Amino acid sequence: MRSGDRIRGAFAGLAIGDAAGWPAARHRSALLAPWSRRLARELDAFAEEHRLTTLPVPFALNQPVEPLALGPSDDAEWLAWTALTIGQDRAAAFGALAGRDDLRARVSVRTALDNLAAGKPPPASGHDNPHFFDDAAAVRAVAFGAAGADPRADAEVTNSGDGVLAAVAVAAAVAELVAGAPAEAAVVAALAELPGDTAIGHAARLALAAARAAGDPFAAVPALDAVLLDHVYSYGVGAAQTVAVALALTEVSGGALAAAVPAAACLASLADSAPALTGALTGACTGLSAQPAGWTAAARTLAGCCLPELAGTDLIDIAGGLV
Amino acid sequence: MIIDRARGCLLALAAGDALGRPAENLEPAEIARRFGRLTEIEPGGGGTDDTEYTLFAADLLCRYGAAMTPDDVAREYRERVLPAIAGPMRGAGFSELGAVQALRRGMAPPMTGRWHPHGWSDGLAMRAAPYGVFAAGDPAEAARLVEVDGAVSNSGEGLHGGRAVAAAVAAAMAGATPGEVAAAGVAAVPADSWTGRNLRAAVAAAAAGDAGRLRQAVVVRHYPWTDLAPEAVALAFAAYLLGGGDVEESVVTAANLGRDADTTAAIAGALAGAGRGEGAVPDRWAREIGPATGRCLPFVAGRHVLDAAGGLVAAREREHGQGRAPSGSPHLDQG
Repeated sequence: MRSGDRIRGAFAGLAIGDAAGWPAARHRSALLAPWSRRLARELDAFAEEHRLTTLPVPFALNQPVEPLALGPSDDAEWLAWTALTIGQDRAAAFGALAGRDDLRARVSVRTALDNLAAGKPPPASGHDNPHFFDDAAAVRAVAFGAAGADPRADAEVTNSGDGVLAAVAVAAAVAELVAGAPAEAAVVAALAELPGDTAIGHAARLALAAARAAGDPFAAVPALDAVLLDHVYSYGVGAAQTVAVALALTEVSGGALAAAVPAAACLASLADSAPALTGALTGACTGLSAQPAGWTAAARTLAGCCLPELAGTDLIDIAGGLV
Repeated sequence: MIIDRARGCLLALAAGDALGRPAENLEPAEIARRFGRLTEIEPGGGGTDDTEYTLFAADLLCRYGAAMTPDDVAREYRERVLPAIAGPMRGAGFSELGAVQALRRGMAPPMTGRWHPHGWSDGLAMRAAPYGVFAAGDPAEAARLVEVDGAVSNSGEGLHGGRAVAAAVAAAMAGATPGEVAAAGVAAVPADSWTGRNLRAAVAAAAAGDAGRLRQAVVVRHYPWTDLAPEAVALAFAAYLLGGGDVEESVVTAANLGRDADTTAAIAGALAGAGRGEGAVPDRWAREIGPATGRCLPFVAGRHVLDAAGGLVAAREREHGQGRAPSGSPHLDQG
């Protein structure tokens, strides 16, 4: 029997984690006029030139300030879109987005939309893709796990290899949790989908060992940074790292969102999506009713910074559609 | 004859590396604005990681020959690459940087090539030519050998890119026509792969003489890094075909397409140089190719690609002296 409180908790938890990571304000600043972001880039250059440690943050000169308040961004919106389209053929659902010029999305999704537009269907659309390994599909897989559905056909549109394995693992974990299983069982279910000879399987096991040795989520942060992050590559949304963090913090927190999400947000280079994935798993475990009410209030309303038609939409209402 | 092709292959590779260097990551229109048509190597500029990692690969073959294993390659990284690097790697691809970090963590191949997200990097394709020289006339063996090296640093499409280049060079070393050379590269990778799809698109675009269609088919639009093997190898093969296998025309065409221009021009040079020999490399380019500086891989400093070519031919002869019959004619796998 699937729990409505846990399904809503997974969605709200993802949005809370999404909002808690520092990149959220940058994504949400997409709602401001382009010149304000150009000014922000110029301030960054100014800080470099003048050797200032006073770093510029997103700001709203002569612009509405609401987008820069605490709130959800890309991951919550792509999850909402997935839940709203979950009954559709996945290639067709993405195909309807191809050619639109008002979207913002990860490299994997942008490239997949180009591939679809060029007549390259899945799985090649997700395979012939420089970011096949990122966690875009893993974020969407929260909806499939909550619905008790297979995420593969969706994941293969935008991802391949570790990116698809990540989606399968996240969906497996969420499916366990919304059925009432404890955090440890969800992590076992996820690990069963991650072969040890893949980067994501190896990373997940290293992360779990590091977190267990550290003993609690906040104590695990330096150990997770040390075992997972080489800091060689420019983008921090690799599923091998973010899903590994989410699984490790979910287990070591015993599924407690309020302990796990802040720890994920402390991993600065993974803060775009590791807090969101951690929030989805621990949010399902915690359930909506036990989540901090102030966080839920701040995180539930979508901004429309990636999918403009979702501006003002309530994510928890959308989750209710899967109950 | 084989020594002439070996010298032509590696000399043209180094020339392509040096010619393409200032065009790397530029759009064709920007290259045209800065250089007109880029045909001259920047004096004193020299080569980059493409040449130095090619010297590394040649050295591996001289030491281990056809019996080389991924553990041998990993040991060479540990014993000769890592200790010579004080601080950060300089002038390496993401795949090599990522593999070095994985080696420093104590990992072994193939996990070292999987741990980082750049399995598809052209870091293997750029150093694949020596495998084609060593296994001249035997594209399948060249592809097998380059994958042994690649297991340390790459996975997936990065391995395919290395296989395509090594197999194509092996065919060119045996006198195959440009069309046969490209076919040998295509045959060395799975048909259902990104590299396979891009190579077929590149061959078709080159046959149509359409550089715009080529870029449309193989260049990834929404990604800022250009070191994707499926893209770089396709651009290099197309440039080689558009150049009709002529060394200068192939290399210049590749360099002026931009993107990972030093690597694409180096690969186009390796294919054309193996086909046409040392004498086909323009003298004005050959004069610019000196010993490696070691700016990327300190332990290859002072080595010259022409010496590496000689070493490869000697290693090949040693290999055949140990019981393998030399392959006198190309047996191109068209399957």
